[in-house]
Amino acid sequence: MSLSVEFSVNGRSVAVGLDDPRRTLLDVLRNDLGLTGPKYGCGLAQCGSCTVLVDEAPARACVLRAAKAEGMRVVTLEGLADGEVPHPVQQAFVEETGAQCGYCLNGMIMTTIALLTENPDPSEAEIRSALRHNLCRCGTHREIVASVAKAARLMRESGTRGRGRI
Amino acid sequence: MSGTRAEAITVYRETGTHRETFLRLDADGSLTAFNGHVDLGTGIETALAQIVAEELDLPLGQVRVVLGDTAHTPNQGPTIASETIQITAVPLRHGAAQIRAELVARAALRLNAPAGEIETIEGEARSANGSVTYGELVSGEAAALALDPGAPVKAPGDYRIVGRPVPRVDLPGKALGRHVYIHDVTVPGMVHGHVVRPPYHGREAGDFVGHSLLGYDEAAVSAMPGFIAVVREADFLAVVAEREDQARAIAEALPVDWRMPPDLPEMRSLADTIRCQPATARACDRSGDFARGIDECDLRAARTYVWPYHLHGSIGPSVSIADWNGGRPILWSGTQNPHMLRADLARLVDLAEEDIEIRRHQAAGCYGRNCADDVGADALLLARAVGRPVRVQLTRAQEHLWEPKGAAQVMDVEGGLLGGDLHAYSLDTWYPSNRATNLGLLLTRRVIAEPRPSDMGDRTIVPPYRIPHKAITVHDMAPIVRAAWMRGVSALPNTFAHESFVDEMAYEARQDPVDFRLRHLDDPRTRTLILRTAEEGGWEPRTAPRRRREGRMAYGQGFAYATYVHGTFPGTAAAAATWVCDVAVDMETGEVQLTRVFVGQDQGLVINPDGVRHQIHGNVNQTASRVLKEEVSFEEITVTPSSWATYPLATFEEVPRIETMLVERAEDPALGVGESAAVPAAAAIANAIFDATGVRMREAPFTPERMRAAMGIHRREDGRLQGSADHAPRLSGAMKPATWFGRLRSKGIGLAAVLGGTLSLGALALPIQRAIPPTSAPPASSFSAELLEKGRQVFAAGNCGDCHTAPGGAPNAGGLEIVTPYGTIHTTNLTPDPETGLGRWSLEAFERAMRHGISRDGTHLYPAFPYTSFSKMTDDDIFALYAYLQTLEPVARETARAEMVFPANLRPVNALWNALHHDSAPIERHPARGADWNRGRYLVEATGHCSACHSPRNLLGAEKTGKAALTGSLVKGWYAPAIAGDAASAFGWSEERYYAYLRTGLAEGFASASGPMADVVANLKALPDEDIRAMATYLASALPNVPEARLADPAAAARPMPDATHRIFESACATCHEPALASLATAATIPLSRSAAIRSPDDEALKTVIRQGIEAPLALAGRDMPGFAGELTEGQIADLAAYVRMRYAPASP
Repeated sequence: MSLSVEFSVNGRSVAVGLDDPRRTLLDVLRNDLGLTGPKYGCGLAQCGSCTVLVDEAPARACVLRAAKAEGMRVVTLEGLADGEVPHPVQQAFVEETGAQCGYCLNGMIMTTIALLTENPDPSEAEIRSALRHNLCRCGTHREIVASVAKAARLMRESGTRGRGRI
Repeated sequence: MSGTRAEAITVYRETGTHRETFLRLDADGSLTAFNGHVDLGTGIETALAQIVAEELDLPLGQVRVVLGDTAHTPNQGPTIASETIQITAVPLRHGAAQIRAELVARAALRLNAPAGEIETIEGEARSANGSVTYGELVSGEAAALALDPGAPVKAPGDYRIVGRPVPRVDLPGKALGRHVYIHDVTVPGMVHGHVVRPPYHGREAGDFVGHSLLGYDEAAVSAMPGFIAVVREADFLAVVAEREDQARAIAEALPVDWRMPPDLPEMRSLADTIRCQPATARACDRSGDFARGIDECDLRAARTYVWPYHLHGSIGPSVSIADWNGGRPILWSGTQNPHMLRADLARLVDLAEEDIEIRRHQAAGCYGRNCADDVGADALLLARAVGRPVRVQLTRAQEHLWEPKGAAQVMDVEGGLLGGDLHAYSLDTWYPSNRATNLGLLLTRRVIAEPRPSDMGDRTIVPPYRIPHKAITVHDMAPIVRAAWMRGVSALPNTFAHESFVDEMAYEARQDPVDFRLRHLDDPRTRTLILRTAEEGGWEPRTAPRRRREGRMAYGQGFAYATYVHGTFPGTAAAAATWVCDVAVDMETGEVQLTRVFVGQDQGLVINPDGVRHQIHGNVNQTASRVLKEEVSFEEITVTPSSWATYPLATFEEVPRIETMLVERAEDPALGVGESAAVPAAAAIANAIFDATGVRMREAPFTPERMRAAMGIHRREDGRLQGSADHAPRLSGAMKPATWFGRLRSKGIGLAAVLGGTLSLGALALPIQRAIPPTSAPPASSFSAELLEKGRQVFAAGNCGDCHTAPGGAPNAGGLEIVTPYGTIHTTNLTPDPETGLGRWSLEAFERAMRHGISRDGTHLYPAFPYTSFSKMTDDDIFALYAYLQTLEPVARETARAEMVFPANLRPVNALWNALHHDSAPIERHPARGADWNRGRYLVEATGHCSACHSPRNLLGAEKTGKAALTGSLVKGWYAPAIAGDAASAFGWSEERYYAYLRTGLAEGFASASGPMADVVANLKALPDEDIRAMATYLASALPNVPEARLADPAAAARPMPDATHRIFESACATCHEPALASLATAATIPLSRSAAIRSPDDEALKTVIRQGIEAPLALAGRDMPGFAGELTEGQIADLAAYVRMRYAPASP
């Protein structure tokens, strides 16, 4: 069974032929569309490394079939910056060194954008709670929490909402 | 590239076989530094850049660091033991100083000034006569300088770049999604490999290794899309396909026959098992006379400390790409040890090391060894076999199961006090680990899989304290399961023993633990560190555990100190670290929360203070997770964790607040900081728990279960907390409904007896029905379009296609296996193929089958075919369906014979069954009800045959009728819940909810169609709204006036006792079922307390969902759920089902 799905990625419309309807959005983004910001970590929605936004909401792309993304607006890590200007959340993670190896960083940034869309001024407890299903093995939790707090401040100051400009 | 360029100044070293370049300054003024170590995600690249920029007075932006590429970097051994800064950076510093001296000499000539008056600043040489850039000085005059280890370097007092916080150079690219990790590398023409590992997961020694693959069936998968090859060498097995997903699908479909390995030793009694393995004792310290000393003690104690197996747990499973490249292979790798890996690969494929090039990319952090080297061997073997570049991505399960584990360790301590002083101390440590031979070498038998002891159990094995009589012994031994170094190596468990025991002795001596340590330390540098940490970390002196309580919580503070000693014994000291930490212990559940950690650290010269602090934070968080939560579990033959579900890590809500204090020692050499702060962790936490509770924890991890056992808290039989709110009624056999596939299975013998008895009475009296002769069906063109449209709707409403299509088979051509308690039936071919389908069936034959369950040839059909419902259909609908079926694409497909158990294998028995159970009377219209209601009833009871799944069945497999109709049943392991009667009302069904559910598959916040019902709803899309509305009207009309049951409130009600099952739920289920962000688009749509499977009468349906997951039809808005059959054992699934039901449906039977 072959089908074709259309959705937008980072503001661009794409049509993808799916000869196997079980293919995940993560697989299609990375292998067909060359978007390697989202990472494969567990394939079971346990670690969050693969997080993308679909219609503004965070989604674990490893358990979301591409065929289910029909008509959706998908945004990946690559789609956050405005040209060379990083999104305030990206900027905050760089300034606060919110990564060691950085493999989980995609999930942390995408989840932060979703959090700040829901709650532009989260407390530290709210930040920790929002990230409780994103795993970091390097132990960078403290810097990541600081990055999120800074991102909230930068976004409030710059008037950015959600993922911003796209 | 690494050699001398026409215009460059280089620094090199001759190794005997070739020239290794360390530094190259080009004519554009940029410097490239080559280091044989790699960045394991710690930001070491930035620190190395700082070191060379400092010595050369170059702006940091003009320095590039190349790490680990074998074609360009010197062989400096594996990146272990925090040696990068301490050891491998040294040649870079000297080389940079040499280049600077060369530049000064050239500038002196160019500027006509004495060398002593030349100043180097920001990439320029300046004198009173003017300035010249480094680039200009390099231009036109190449030079190659032999590395001089004695070259004079800057005094630390002059440092301008080293010692300052510098932002990580790699981070902007990572945050923008532009950094190319090894996972993101693509090579032109690349195809994908997927390995199939043997069943002896994680084992590396024994005659079964490399000798267990009995065979595989390539023909079964060679027609799958994208197939390129199956590659096998001894126990190495993999498939290659065009795409990554195809390679995985083929590998998972490949039938493979493995010999099962022998059992592991008993791993639950870890200490005994480890001590029983062959080992060689090696004395590390025999100061004084321990035997005499211990006799002289006025207080003696013997203690055993146990450390578990851990996973390194890289967040990204390993990846590698290989290009055979005509016999001069290139490997793209995230390895920790490029040069060591190259030697292994050379052995694997019989090449010289120099013929192989390894290009190193950053990977996910590894903290020791992960599968990065193993997957390199996989990729290389496959690239050689298929002649194309091959990328291999390991799965999470493969990484978990096969990574060389952080080894378990047992420490037996005996010691004592004389007059309040430590007088004698013995430590025996067993460390079953080695350097983890490359898996590819073992699977292909290039290396014999025999036990290989190693010598790394002696890290920080000698306690730092002044003790007159010591007997320190390491027992060198081979691994039990595959193991290799992990952060802190053996020093962390050894320190767990030292610092717990010393703490215990301090209290025995009625002395403050910090004072007690200081009294036994002479080294002023160590004393300073301990004193300052105690002071700034807020140490509260005490001479007995304080057991501070507030309500159910107990609070305590602990202290521990260690210098991490690495390298071959007696080894080299890295940074020394000291912990003061605070814990809160829940005295009812045994949960330990590490609330604050203060780390004081002495690392000599600090290269990048931010980098050092980040390493401390990482060490604290990761090691706290290891100490409090982590432990590899085992089954009889293998390690078991194959996802984070069964190896949970500390989460953001669990990690402590961290404070740091760096002792400034700019004049002392820089010491490695990659592991030091991890080393005191276990002892400091155990000591804090002792202060809080008076209980000594001597076996890690300190899980709630272990804490409860140590504190004497006993769980109640039902697994709940003492005093928690609700009490779940026990499952009662009497309350379970009869089910096709659950209860009947256990009644098999009784059933046979019943049927047998009946058979002898009358079966033979019931003849096989007459055959109806084959005729050609009318041509498709003879049916009107309206008739065919109607037929299409009947076909959809009857869900015909789902049962009459085999998985992966041609649509409607039959072949689906239906397993019943009486045997296995295969559904028939509905397409108009003349030989195997309905092509020669007359309408009369079709109608007889639909109404009476008799096939055209006169044989009885089994009642798995729901003719008991179809018999109620109108003639018009049956004709429309007949017409529609005759227009389907004909497919030739023979129906396999049913395999029934006696006596159900005798078709005449079906006739008897019919006589007992089949009422073929049509539905009579109910005159008092509206057209809607009557239409709904017809769809539900006739065409839709809802009762086939939703009505419980009697012992003979017949649907129960009357009040029992549609009251719920288990089908194929899925629960078809009550849609009529009190239970349906109590569940909360209503007309609107029925409508939304049947129309879209989702009644918002209430129910979502899943499993077989999802396919039914997808088919119902063919029906007009009126029909869906009619079904909802009819179903709702039959609901009795019973109020909706109150839902379980998991937050308020029974709080489950934290245990392994609770942790599985939290790490595998909660991510989607209790999402951290409400907007999560991949979260479950229905609260678990609403789930029909969870609220069903027994565990079976829930276990099915956990095993299989949910694949929502594309036509519906429903969401998928991954299945966990491959991740959890059957025992874990059963425990999880019980846990979920207790938590979310405590009122269910």
